[in-house]
Amino acid sequence: MLRNVFSKTLRDLRRTAAWWILGIVALTAFVVAVYPSVRDNPELNKMVEDYPDVLKAFFGLGQDVDYTSAVGYLNSELFSFMAPLLLLIAAIGAGARATAGEEERGTLDLLLANPLSRRRLLVDKLAALVAEIAVLGAVLWLSLVLGCHIVGMHVSAAHLGAASAAAVLLAIVYGAVAVFFGAWLGSRGAAIGITAAGAVAAYLLNSLGELVDSLKPLRIASPFYHYVAQDALRDGLGLDHVVLLLSVALFAASGAVAAFTRRDLHTP
Amino acid sequence: MAATSPAIEARSLTKMYGHDRGVVDLSFTVERGEVFGFLGPNGAGKTTTIRLLLDLIRATSGRVSLFGVDPRCNVAVRRRVGYVPGDLRLYERLSAAELCRYFANLRGMRTIDRAVAYANRLDLPIDRPIGSLSKGNRQKVGLVQALMHEPDLLVFDEPTAGLDPLVQQTFYGLIDERRAAGATVFLSSHVLPEVQHVADRVALVREGRLVDVASVAALRARAFGRVEATFATLPPPDAFTRVPGARELDRYGETILFALEGEADALVKALGRFHVVALDSHEADLEDIFLSLYRREARDAA
Repeated sequence: MLRNVFSKTLRDLRRTAAWWILGIVALTAFVVAVYPSVRDNPELNKMVEDYPDVLKAFFGLGQDVDYTSAVGYLNSELFSFMAPLLLLIAAIGAGARATAGEEERGTLDLLLANPLSRRRLLVDKLAALVAEIAVLGAVLWLSLVLGCHIVGMHVSAAHLGAASAAAVLLAIVYGAVAVFFGAWLGSRGAAIGITAAGAVAAYLLNSLGELVDSLKPLRIASPFYHYVAQDALRDGLGLDHVVLLLSVALFAASGAVAAFTRRDLHTP
Repeated sequence: MAATSPAIEARSLTKMYGHDRGVVDLSFTVERGEVFGFLGPNGAGKTTTIRLLLDLIRATSGRVSLFGVDPRCNVAVRRRVGYVPGDLRLYERLSAAELCRYFANLRGMRTIDRAVAYANRLDLPIDRPIGSLSKGNRQKVGLVQALMHEPDLLVFDEPTAGLDPLVQQTFYGLIDERRAAGATVFLSSHVLPEVQHVADRVALVREGRLVDVASVAALRARAFGRVEATFATLPPPDAFTRVPGARELDRYGETILFALEGEADALVKALGRFHVVALDSHEADLEDIFLSLYRREARDAA
């Protein structure tokens, strides 16, 4: 586990990753366990239909969503908000720690005295972030496949996988953005704050864009739009949205390399 | 040519932080096999210079090369370098052995046998988490990771801070060993005694500028020492005015304080004409050396 910066970073993540895995399993178990009582209560559909549009928009309930169907239920209870939220928090935290964590703790001076380029360091840290979020996404997927099987929810493993992958991709975008701000500013707090604020703004832009006509054309600027619009749980991954999200992540990553290789490193 | 280029070469190195100066127009050369002291008061720019050498920060102007190579363009040159930062921060959760294994892997080394050997010599517990170690033991971890690949160039920023005197002696022994093996050592300090026993040459920096580069012997020869003589009866005021190299700084009670530059012989003989009750002398410290250099500069300018 100490072979290179990539494996060392994963090693450091072991402890927190264990808690994230526990949280994701607990969340999916809870959501899935409640489903049978939702399915057997058609009144709920009527109730949800009567929700104000604002509320529906915020919880990812489209105009004609069947809340009591397995896909509609999982979309609104898990994939519209909670699953991406958890993965986003994990990714932004890991991204902000990537270089800024070591820089603030002061271990970066010693690490970079080794024959290791700043670019290589950053690429390793990014790879570790992607690996961590992918593992969390896999945990989400596996616990859903298992849970759905147990309570008899009819959603294919492939579609659950697509939805999990879409959430992972969205989280990686914000993880890469956090890496960028951390690499540029050298401050973990700033990287978390700026990235989280940006994520909230993008989420609002997408949700409100559904209701406010003047905002509608701007929704394409929000990564959340590209996450939601493909409706991966129903239709599988949408190639154009995936490519776009990947491009944003790559753009942030190359920005991080450019910023990090040019500047002076801070000491605590 | 790269094969014979000096271990460190700094040319007109300048680092500005906004309007604050870090270092200004530093030029010096450290030859291979040399132990080079980098001496200056706190805030003189020692750490800034060292971080420029290691490409952790970038010069505003001027350039630096290690073994003829720009450390910024060539990461591989760091294979030949071992470094202990002044403000040493380590991975608290790793043990010294794990930290050395990590860095050994990054350096492409197969074993950490040499690290273990150095740790044993320094009496460092190698399997305890670094977070649980004392300040002195942490400093040893820094030394071990800098020495384990037996680099051609060792860079130490205030290396003996936090080491007890016994370990300091071991440290000086290790420096001598590395020098004997042909390695170059660059070490910074804010006190002269820390470097004068091991350094061949010393650079003096103050307020970001290089004041002088000289051999330790030359530096001490021309620096002011202090001699404090207490007499049975105070000699007349003009008793020591003609003694070469000596100058009266102060008189209090039966005691006279002299500043002494160079050899002590003339002053000792002059003192011998009186009844001396007590005699005390201090070696020139860094501030005295700087003062003498400034006085020299002022005299030269006049």
